[in-house]
Formats: sequence, structure tokens, C-alpha cells
Amino acid sequence: MNKYLVSILTNLKLTSRDRMALFFSYAFPLMFFFIFGQMFGSGMGGGIVQVVSSVLIIGVLGNGFFGAGMRAVSERETNILRRYKVAPTTAAPIVVSSLVTGWVNYIPSATLIITLAHFVYGMPWPERWFSLFVFLTFAVIAFRALGMIVASVVNSMQESQIVIQMMYLPMLFLSGATFPIDAMPVWLQSVAQFLPASHLYNGMQGILVKKESLLENWMALVAMLSTIVVASFLSIKLFRWEKEDKIRTSGKAWLLAAMVPFFILGIYQSYTHESIGKNKQLARSLRRSRTILIRGARIFIGDGTVIAKGALLIKDGKIQQIWEGDGPEPKSVKADPIEAYGKTILPGFIDTHIHLGAPGGIPEKYPADSKAMHKAVARELAAYLYSGVTTVKSVGDSIDLMRDMAKLTDSGEKLGAELFYVGPMFTTEGGHGTEYFKKVPAAFRKQLEESIVRLPKTKEEAVRMVGELKPQGVTGIKAILEAGGGSFHFNRMDTLVLAGIAEGAKANGLPLVVHTGDDRDVGDALAVGASGIEHGSIRDVISDAHLAAMAKMHVAFAPTLAVMNAVNALAAGNLDILSRSLFEQSAPRGLIEATKKALGKEEKKEGFAFPEDLILSNVRRAAAAGVMLVTGTDSGNVPLIHGPAVHRELQMLIKSGLTPIEALKAATSNGAKLLGVANRIGYVKPGYEATLLIVDGNPLEDMSVTERVSLVFFKGERVARGDLFDDDLEETAK
Amino acid sequence: MLNETPTRSYVVSDASFETMTPAILVRNLHKSYGDFEAVGGIDFEVRPGEVFGLLGPNGAGKTTTVEILEGIRPRTSGEVTVLGYDPGVDVKALKDRIGVCLQSTNLPEKLKLHEAMTLFGSFYSRTVDGNKLLDRLQLGEKRNSYYSQLSGGQKQRLHLALAMINDPQLIFLDEPTTGLDPQVRLEIHGLIQELRDDQRSIILTTHYIEEAERLCDRVAIIDSGKIVAHGSPKELMATTLGASTVEVKIEQPLPPGDLPKEIGADRIDISEDRKQISVTAQKPARAMVELVKYIDQLGLELADIHLKRGTLEDVFLQLTGKKLRE
Repeated sequence: MNKYLVSILTNLKLTSRDRMALFFSYAFPLMFFFIFGQMFGSGMGGGIVQVVSSVLIIGVLGNGFFGAGMRAVSERETNILRRYKVAPTTAAPIVVSSLVTGWVNYIPSATLIITLAHFVYGMPWPERWFSLFVFLTFAVIAFRALGMIVASVVNSMQESQIVIQMMYLPMLFLSGATFPIDAMPVWLQSVAQFLPASHLYNGMQGILVKKESLLENWMALVAMLSTIVVASFLSIKLFRWEKEDKIRTSGKAWLLAAMVPFFILGIYQSYTHESIGKNKQLARSLRRSRTILIRGARIFIGDGTVIAKGALLIKDGKIQQIWEGDGPEPKSVKADPIEAYGKTILPGFIDTHIHLGAPGGIPEKYPADSKAMHKAVARELAAYLYSGVTTVKSVGDSIDLMRDMAKLTDSGEKLGAELFYVGPMFTTEGGHGTEYFKKVPAAFRKQLEESIVRLPKTKEEAVRMVGELKPQGVTGIKAILEAGGGSFHFNRMDTLVLAGIAEGAKANGLPLVVHTGDDRDVGDALAVGASGIEHGSIRDVISDAHLAAMAKMHVAFAPTLAVMNAVNALAAGNLDILSRSLFEQSAPRGLIEATKKALGKEEKKEGFAFPEDLILSNVRRAAAAGVMLVTGTDSGNVPLIHGPAVHRELQMLIKSGLTPIEALKAATSNGAKLLGVANRIGYVKPGYEATLLIVDGNPLEDMSVTERVSLVFFKGERVARGDLFDDDLEETAK
Repeated sequence: MLNETPTRSYVVSDASFETMTPAILVRNLHKSYGDFEAVGGIDFEVRPGEVFGLLGPNGAGKTTTVEILEGIRPRTSGEVTVLGYDPGVDVKALKDRIGVCLQSTNLPEKLKLHEAMTLFGSFYSRTVDGNKLLDRLQLGEKRNSYYSQLSGGQKQRLHLALAMINDPQLIFLDEPTTGLDPQVRLEIHGLIQELRDDQRSIILTTHYIEEAERLCDRVAIIDSGKIVAHGSPKELMATTLGASTVEVKIEQPLPPGDLPKEIGADRIDISEDRKQISVTAQKPARAMVELVKYIDQLGLELADIHLKRGTLEDVFLQLTGKKLRE
């Protein structure tokens, strides 16, 4: 019989008779599994995946370093390998049989853990089971090979203990297998990228949690494959049969040679930080998958109904079930309980109108480059989430920037409000929106214009331009029809061009929202079939006919009361809004002070004020006519620093005469409808995303309590609001 | 065939120089570990079908020498041919054709005997039936036992069986009976004799003198890395000072004067009180008769007389000034 086959079969028989080996392959991982399982306790939800990964990785490490490495050393020390030395063979059958035996032993153990996780803790079967199988196969063989090469370069049992512990412990603690790696400092995360086990963890989590394919983990696979080849080759070449045969101390460098593929990966990662991002996403997926029961709270459903006292079960990022009354015992639904008596659960708020590219305040220093700009916008999105505004739509911002930011938050790498964007605004030469460029040096003007506005001259050009935006990921179109009034005058867009924009938007399935300034604008927007009206009229009364048409056509109306209110207050020298606690909590450090200081120096612009009574009456009449109101704050305009302005918008809606329920619908389900996502957010209903705002008190009695944010849930994750601005600390540290 | 270190060597001339290719041929073999010279230029050969013994105390260089021959240790210099192969070059081919029973090796505890035979058999190009081998070495009933369940003698028999799994022409037995009790040692001796009857060449290292006397066709005595004598045990005993000795005790002191030449003594030792005489001679019977005759003539009273046959132990002691087992 072939010597490889015989060696493998013999090795398998020996292992099956070895109680220690069986203990470490089966009993030991099981022990860990149940201990970790109990530690996480109920409410673990998808956390079980983390437990499974931990146990599988501990298994791979143990199998490699102890099963292969330690055993080979011990066989050398007890003169067993000596006997092979006089036979006409290289070390190849011994090394190969060790690799194969490790694998044959490992796979059933891994299967057992996964099966138990499924039946005991309800983990779904791995969707990518084949990828997982192949990945684990590579992993266990690679670590066996590493174990073998450790055996080949150490001179004694004691030395092997030291070398193995030096490799095992960092891999155990820094790879993510036992401690959450995303919580470690970035430099430590970068260091961890040099450890083979980090890539093992990353890949396994990717496959289990993010359902990635093998291809998406090709780098880790190639590194493991190279390690298998290099380490096997070296351990065969350096194999020593007798304890008296010593290897020079420098021989230990070969061990490093075997890990070269991972050093290369580490260098690559410290350059790209790809894995660090992925770690954050993975950690996010886990946090989003917990099972939580919130009890005792008032629940605002979103459709206008309210449960006076109810319980809510969150599972796998979704709202699983709602009960009236106290709800079930948390243990009976395997959930972490949150007691919320006296609080109100609402769908996360939606702000349909913000300008992320502008800070809203007047900072001492504007972002100097693209990187700083990315950071600033990420900070703004975090501020929204902090304030319970879980969904925002940006208008007039650079598409490239928005696409990057949406990717960052959608993947879970960064925590921030879900971002929708329309990209550039459609206006006309000399129209509203172009005035901002006048002060910009000519050299930059073109580029800035390109990213912020579109200036179609004909209907055909308008259709084409809309079509060009669609593939870039925009989720809507914004056009400006405003011609100004009083001391402000703009060129007004030709209605034919507007019709072209509407045609393009319709053809591409994008909702069109039109910025209007008076009743005529509203009429023209309605005539082309706009889905939303922004601002409405600030100069005249919106006619009953137009309001009736808006109601009939389900056109959303975002009156942007917050910005008008703030601008008026500012004109009167009143900056109280920036002293609201939620603004102080969520604004970038120093921005409020800098803004107040800068505005204090500025000469007061007398003369312009929005006619608040007119505007509020338009809103009141719209509500009465059955128009669908949505909240849009125009944050980014001074002094609306990004984050909490929706709360002010709600208070203004109340001031205009809306009922609390009407106002809250505007901030939740109505916004979701406008954005076309009312099938997953905007309501507190089973099957909807668990994206929630919980406030202290009852906004139905006093709308200002929405500012008293108690908890925010985002896609099932209980947002650690206090940690959202951790990056600021790094900034100040610098 | 002269040894290059003639100071203490005693070379037994070899009348019938082999015309056959020797199984092993060693010329001026050296092995150094740094400054320490473990083997210091030795020459010997092993003829086909003979049992050749390397006799010497611990640390004499026996194991180093055989390990070089087995191809598992490189030599520093010298010429070595084993079954026509250079162990430093054709290691694999050589290992395929020799059988080796190493000193102090182990097998995994939970390895069954028949599995051991299959496992080690798989490495060779030619194998014999492992079960038959086990039967032959009286291990047939133990074939399903674990290695750890064997007694010391059984383990050694298993190692002998493993050494024969490839039906080797040449077998190396490195201290095959060290650490075994006398009963088991006899058993192993019996097996080695059987092997010799199969016309296999055997090279045996031992520090048991009676093992060498009993089993070996020829012996090389090795000390501090050098061969101090070699030849058949009988030749060695006969031609070295290790020949038979006649010891006589008398009641009165022997008067001064030489003993008669007829005694044919190689060496005469007389005690200080001149009451004990020890005569070493090639023809001990003749010497005894002549000595008794001479004492009688002097009118002295004979108290005791006995004949002590020489052993390899004596040879070794006389050649090296050391005892073997210390």
C-alpha cells in the first residue's frame, strides 16, 4: 500500500485511540461553546455566530499548534520519530499524514458545533456552507502546517511550549476570536492584521455573517494556501528525527518565512485598512442581530394609531412582534429586556431635505481636502443618528461624496443615519442655487457647479441629464423653480425644461421634488407631476385648488419650517436654537461657539424675514386639505447645524396647528413614503426594520419631549449614542 | 591490512583474504563533533553471511559508527561502502535494503503490532508478510495488542521483526539486548542465531562480552573511537595476552631464580611473598604439567592449582586497561 495512505490511516487510528486528542478535538470546543453560549445568554440572536466563529477558530488554533506541533515534538522527544529515520522515507508522509489527520478530525467537530448552534441557539444553517467548508479546510491545514514547522524549528519540548504560546496567545486574543477586535485601538487592529488568525476570523465571519463567497475572501485563501505550501515544504526539509539533532537558533527564522504570506497581507491591510473596515461591519452585523424586548412603552405606530402601553420584540434587525400590555417574559422569547415604562417608541425620524456639504454653522476651519470632507460628513450623519433622525435625504451635494458616505453607512462600517441623495439640483443659468458660486474663484467655479447643480437649457437636455444621474445611484431628483422675491431675484426655470426633468425622472423611476417659492411655482410643479413640493409658498397663499390637487395626487409637502424659523430668529439676533441641549450634545466640538462668535461680528441684515404667519397658515390649510406633509429642515443653512433640526420642525408643525399625530406622521411614515421605502421604515410594525427612536415622555402631549432622546435603534442595533463621536476624540488628541 | 594507529592495536592477520565483495567496507573512517573526535580513523569489513561484532564500552564510538553505516549520520571523512552503496550518497537505496534495530527507539503507545508492520512495510520497495514475521518472533498472539502492552523483551522482538520487514541482506543490531533481563537476552540471542542461519550479514554492537563471544564470527574491539583489535573471538583470545592462565598457590615461598623454559610462559607473575604464581601460556596444559613438575622437584608443598581460560573481557582489559561495563 502507498506509504502516504498507510501513514494517514495509521495516524487516524492513533488519534482515534488518543483520549487527549479526542478531548481537545471534541470535548474542549464543546465546553467553550456552551460556556460562551451561556455568557452571551438570552438575546444573543446572531451573536451565536460570533460564538461559533470563536469556537471554530479556537479549534483550528488548537488543532494546528497543539495537535500537530506539540505532538510532533513529543514524538521526537520520546524517540518515536527515530524509528522512521532508518526507513527509506523522507518526512513527507509524516507531515502530510499530520495535515490530513488534523483535517479529518476537525471537520466533524466543526459540523457538530454548527449543528448544536442551529438546534440549541437557533443559528440559521450557514447559507454559504460550501465556502465555509473550503475555507475551514484551508484554515485547518494551514495551521497544521504552521504547527509542523514550529515542531521542526524548536529543539525541545520547553522551547516548543514557548514558541507555540507566543503564537497562540496573540492569535487567540487579537484575532477577534475571543475579544471584539473592532473595539481595539486602530494601531492594535493594524498589528493584528499580521496574524494569520485574524484573516481566519475575518473570512469565517464574512462567510457566516455577511454570506460572502470564497472569491470575496481570496486574499486570505491565497495566504493560507501559500502557508500550506511553504510551511509543509520547509517542515519536511527541516524535519528532525532525533532530539539530539539540534537546529541552530537562526533556524527559527524559517518559521517567519512560513508566515510571509500573512506579513504581506498585513502590510497590504495596514495600507488599505480594508480588514479594519470589514471588522467594523462584522461587529455591526452582530450588534444588529441581537434579540431585544422593549416593554411598557407607548408605541406610535406611524400610521397614526398609538398603543398606550405595549411591548416590542426586536430580532435579527427587524421588528418581530408587538404586544399590547406588558408583553411576554423576556426569557420566554430569549431576549434582552429593556424596560421603557413612561417612554414613547416612535419610528426613527426622517429629514427629507439637508445639505451635507455645508456645516450649518460657521466653523473656524472648513474641511481642507476630500478626506477631511468625508470625515465631516460622516460626523454629520452620526449627529443625525444621535438625535434620533435615522434617515436623511441630501440635496445638492457631490454625488461622489454621497455615494462614498452611503456605502460607509450602508455597509455598517460607520454608524450614521441612512443616506438618500439626489446629487446635483436642477436649476437654470442665474437661477436659485447658482448664486453660491459667485464668490468662488473662477478656477473652482466650474467644478463646484458641476457637482452641485445641473443647468439644462432644453427639454431634451433635461431628460438626458436626469438619465445620466440615475446610474450614479441617486434616489430622487430635485428641481428649483424659485424666482425669488423682495430683494432677491433669480432666473426662473423654463417650464418646458421642468417638464423634461419630470419626464426623465418618471422614465427612470425617480421621485421628483420641486423647490417652489410661490403659488405659481406650486401650480407648475403639480402640472408636471412632481412627487414633492419643497418650501411651498413663502410669498403668497397656496390656492385651495393646488392643495386639493396635492392631496389627490399624494404629493408630499415639505414646508421646511425649521430653517425659516431659524433664519428669522437669526435676523433678530436670536440664536437660542443652538442652545437647545440636543444641538449642544450633537454638534462638533467648538462649532456652536465659533458660529455664535462669527455671527456676533456680522452686521445684522435688516429687512428680510420669512412671513411666518403666512407660511404657517399655508401648512395648516394643507394639513386640513389632506396633503401629505413631510419633515425637511434644510439643515446645513446657518444656523442649522446638522442633527436635531427635525425636532424643531415638529414643534413648528404643531405651532402651525397640526395635531401631534399629524406632525409625527410627517416625520416618520410620510417621509418614508416620499423616499419610496415605506415598506421597510417609517412604521413600528412587525417585519419593519427596527429603526426606532425612544423618547422620555409623551410627545402627543408635549412635542418638545422628542428632544429628550432616550434610545435610538438602527436596523436592530441599540446605538451606543455616547460612542458615536469617538472620532472627535482622536481629532482633539492630534 | 594495517591499522594506522599501531600503538595499542593488535591486528590479527587474515590468512584467507576475502575474494567476495564485503557487505561492509570501512576505510579510515572519521567522525568529529566540533573538537571532539568520536571516531578516529577506523578500518574494518563485514563479509557476507557473517555476524560481525563491534565491542566496546559506552561512548567508544560504536553507535556513531553504525549510524554512519546506516546512512543516518554523515561522516567527516573516510571511505564507506555498504552493500555497494555509499551511505552518504545513496541513502534511500541503502535504507531500502538494510534492516535496522536501533538502540532505544519507541513506537506510539497505541499502535497495534500488525499496524506497525504495515506502516513500516509501506516504506520499502520489497516486503515480507508481517504476520508471518510476528509469528516467527513469537508475537503472533500479540498482533492486535498495543505497543504499550508489550514487555521489554516483546518490544525488542517487535523491533527485530520491523528490522526484517524488508527481507534485508544486512541487519544492524545496535545493542539489541541492553537493559533486558538475562532470560530475555538468551531469547534474543537465539533469534540472532536464527538470523545468521539465514545467511544474512549482521553487524552487532554490544558491550556484553559473552554476547559477542557467543554470537559473533568476528569482533572488532573499539575504544575511544579506535579499533584496538579485531578477529574471531577465539583468535583474539588465543593471540592476545588474553590466553589461558595457570594459577598456583604453594605453602612455602618460591626460591629466587627463573622458571624453566619448558613451561612456555608468555608472561609470569609472582606475588611478593612468592607463594602465588600465575603463568600465561599458549599451551596451558603443557605449562601446568611443567610447573607442577618444577615445584615438586623443589620439594615445595602445592596448596592449590587451577586453570583460568581467557575471555574477551580479559582481552579488552589488557588492550585498553579498562573494564567493559564501567
